[in-house]
Amino acid sequence: MSINLRLGLVAVSLILLVITLLILKKGNMPVKYSLVWIFSSLLILLIALIPNVFSWLSTILGFMTMSNMVIGIFIFILLMITIVLTVIVSGQRKKITLLIQEVSILKKRD
Amino acid sequence: MGMKILLIIPAYNEEQNILKTYNSIINYNKKNKANYDVVVINDGSTDRTEEILIENKINHIKLINNLGIGGAVQTGYKYAYKNNYDIAVQFDGDGQHNVEYVKKIVNPIIEGKVNFVIGSRFIEKDKNNFNSTLARRIGINIISFFIRLVSKKKIYDTTSGFRACDRKIIEEFQQDYPLEYPEPITTVEVIKKGYEVSEVSVKMNERVGGKSSIHSWKNLYYMINVIVSIIIVGNRRYK
Repeated sequence: MSINLRLGLVAVSLILLVITLLILKKGNMPVKYSLVWIFSSLLILLIALIPNVFSWLSTILGFMTMSNMVIGIFIFILLMITIVLTVIVSGQRKKITLLIQEVSILKKRD
Repeated sequence: MGMKILLIIPAYNEEQNILKTYNSIINYNKKNKANYDVVVINDGSTDRTEEILIENKINHIKLINNLGIGGAVQTGYKYAYKNNYDIAVQFDGDGQHNVEYVKKIVNPIIEGKVNFVIGSRFIEKDKNNFNSTLARRIGINIISFFIRLVSKKKIYDTTSGFRACDRKIIEEFQQDYPLEYPEPITTVEVIKKGYEVSEVSVKMNERVGGKSSIHSWKNLYYMINVIVSIIIVGNRRYK
């Protein structure tokens, strides 16, 4: 992996980490949900620091290039996050529906 | 007799029909010494529906936000449950349903034979009956096929919104009711939970006022959603 790409990855990792920490500091996200982003940024950092390990791993797993594997891993992570978010949103929709129903029934004048 | 019966009328922008529908029920009550109670669920209408409901002192609940048909109807079931109704009937506010048939669909419940009754357009073939369009009938038949596949029971009018249920089903529905495509899904749920379900023949009127938003891609999307839901619900295990 070229030194330029590795520097780029370090930058991306740090940007992701800083953004996550800033959001946490503002209190706009519970720590529970931030862990997956923090770990993602650490994974990117790891790839930049020890590319040889990942290059070896990608050969074993049968990827044509290491970048394919990295992209594959991140697409998988993002899909997982999206599914979890869909579940969270659906749960909230149920709760909001219940709230609207109960408040509307309470507001009813006889 | 002496059973408390509630008609749940979901209404979204029904300024043209709601008063007519309400008056038809009141007139029916007077003529037949019936005492069907009414609750209109105003699902966040943006037209004059709410003003009409207030002006005419119609018993109603105004949802503080639009919920869609499933959430609106469920509000009616919650109201029925809290106010100890024995039977709840879902009744459209757009003039498609005829109050004369309410008696026919609640009778099997009053006699204690069944828990859930669906008012069906397709049991008796009648040319004068409004049977809806060919495309819609094909869709209804496909849904019917899948319901039979998972529940082993033939339901003819799978999308009918003209339905009556007893106290037990009211309790089930107030607890849990699908937000989307509620008719076919709840039918499967009720059968799977072991309740007695029957279908009785009713006539429906063609929609007066308002417009039916039939769009082919939307229908395909609807069909896929409903079929997947039926298969999922059909494979759940209820004790």
